[in-house]
Amino acid sequence: MRLIRSELMKIRTTNVWWIFALSILAFNVLMLLIWTFGYTGDRLRSAKMPMEQMLPPASEVPPEEYERMRQEILASRDIDKILIDGATQIYTSGQFFILLFIMLLGAILMTNEFFHQTATTTFLTTPQRTKVILAKFAAIGFFSVIIWAVTTAVSVGGGAAYLASQGYGAQLGEWQVQRPILMNLLAFVLWGILGVGLGVLLRSQIAAVVVGAVAYVIGSQAVQIAAFLVYEYLIKKDWVIQAMVGWPSVASQVMISPDAFMGAGIVAAPKWWVGLLVLIGYGLFFGVIGTLITRKRDIT
Amino acid sequence: MTSTADGQIVVSGLTKHYGRVRAVDDLSFTVQPGRVTGFLGPNGAGKTTTLRMVLNLVTPTSGAATISGQRYADLADPIRHVGAILEASSAHKGRSGRNHLRIQCAAAGLPLTRADEMLELVGLTPAAKRKFRGYSLGMRQRLGIASAMLGNPSALILDEPANGLDPEGIRWMRDLLRHFASEGRTVLVSSHLLGEMEQLADDVVIIASGKLVAQGAVDDVVKGMSTSEQVRVRTPDADKLVAALGPDAKFSKDNGVLMLSGVSAPEVGAAALRAGVELHELVAERRDLEDVFLELTAGKAAIR
Ligand SMILES: Nc1ncnc2c1ncn2[C@@H]1O[C@H](COP(=O)(O)OP(=O)(O)OP(=O)(O)O)[C@@H](O)[C@H]1O
Ligand SMILES: [Mg+2]
Repeated sequence: MRLIRSELMKIRTTNVWWIFALSILAFNVLMLLIWTFGYTGDRLRSAKMPMEQMLPPASEVPPEEYERMRQEILASRDIDKILIDGATQIYTSGQFFILLFIMLLGAILMTNEFFHQTATTTFLTTPQRTKVILAKFAAIGFFSVIIWAVTTAVSVGGGAAYLASQGYGAQLGEWQVQRPILMNLLAFVLWGILGVGLGVLLRSQIAAVVVGAVAYVIGSQAVQIAAFLVYEYLIKKDWVIQAMVGWPSVASQVMISPDAFMGAGIVAAPKWWVGLLVLIGYGLFFGVIGTLITRKRDIT
Repeated sequence: MTSTADGQIVVSGLTKHYGRVRAVDDLSFTVQPGRVTGFLGPNGAGKTTTLRMVLNLVTPTSGAATISGQRYADLADPIRHVGAILEASSAHKGRSGRNHLRIQCAAAGLPLTRADEMLELVGLTPAAKRKFRGYSLGMRQRLGIASAMLGNPSALILDEPANGLDPEGIRWMRDLLRHFASEGRTVLVSSHLLGEMEQLADDVVIIASGKLVAQGAVDDVVKGMSTSEQVRVRTPDADKLVAALGPDAKFSKDNGVLMLSGVSAPEVGAAALRAGVELHELVAERRDLEDVFLELTAGKAAIR
């Protein structure tokens, strides 16, 4: 317990944390604006437009094509669905960047020990290195929970106010809306742990930050391209696309909203708990390997 | 805790290989409480590596070290037993010295106010809330001492603590360590400042190339050298004097000065009188720690 306190003090006593906190809040608010006024607002507006304005004159398209378009527009005017889709995004505003920041914060919490040569002091005070790493996991987890609480409060407060201004309820009673909010909490905590694990594996601060950011931002695109290429030209099996869930950022995506799975149009998206298991797997793997390395490593 | 072994540091058979370099090679020695023990050796002799092994920061290839009869890692709240200052140890540049200490207090279960007390002790109170980035070398070293003293330990292990201290700081440190030892605690301190060590240390442990070369009280180590005392003689009849001294005496002639070892000044005087040799100068030169150190480590000093 006192080790966790000590690790939390390490986070709090430098400027890094509030730079991260401000960035996180900034993205939170920015994405909240986009998901409310932009995304949900657009869909609500088009749902209220008279049908005729959205369809080409019936004489210009073949009747069956006309009917198909009509059905499509009808489906997209399902207000309940719009609200639930919207609320899901609104209440997890900024998730993509927040996860990145939390991971980097975790990595920095670990690599700082070597970058600033505080590892000597830390391990002199607590020679049980496993305990130190566990305390770091706990501290970043605690920090993630707070970030989740604050950003969710902002998103839910702002989002509900927006929906109310449009004359709708907050949708918070729906499990489909609650689930992503809770999964977001899990994702925040797990990515913090992944970050610490990354920091243990790549002792260099710069390497950990660069590798972490690149793998996170570009990684899922690269994995997507690779998977689709393999699917197109080599193995035309569903599992090739579904295997993308093995990449951590795809996994957390699937865990929070399987619908957003990048291959969803082609194959069935993996179940949300598959994403959860994959993320936990990475967390454990990084944590255990990192801990074993740290226990063996000479601090010089 | 057995009171007799309290604070005693025992190093036995400690060995560390870095690839093909034997940084420390089957090293054994003990450090007694109530005394200041100097840990000496040329660059690359293995001092830092040894101290880091004692403190569980570097894993020995073989051998072990104990403090008060226990391995460092087995001590409950080790900073309450052992304080340490090591090279390549630092604080976060963007964190204040005070917070640096408070973080350690929190981890060791010490009251956070202990940080302020130690800052006061080392004279850093005015800079307590300043960021570590802005500390001078001497201030950093003082923060290191504050950190070592946090747990009110019964043993101190210091790797070149005088580095970067001004003359006043060095004296302050010397007084601090002497006082610490006088309270019955253990002080093990490595240094290259042999003059300083001769003033400060009661005992010395001298290593070279990872191996022990000498251990004991400073006086004993200095006297224990076969050539601990030299006698300088000026005489027009050097050969006759040497012959009169017999085979025990070793000598060297340099520019009309005869340096004798293995005999004392009174013996030389008596022999000269017996042989009727005229003496122009007869001086007993006591050798100091530096001479002994250089002689003991000669030929082994090469950086590996
Ligand atoms: N991490 C390491 N990897 C490889 N070799 C090392 C490492 N640390 C120390 N060594 C080697 O071990 C030997 C002993 O080094 P050590 O730092 O213990 O010497 P020292 O007595 O403290 O020297 P100095 O007086 O210069 O501080 C040196 O030859 C050094 O090159
Ligand atoms: Mg050294």
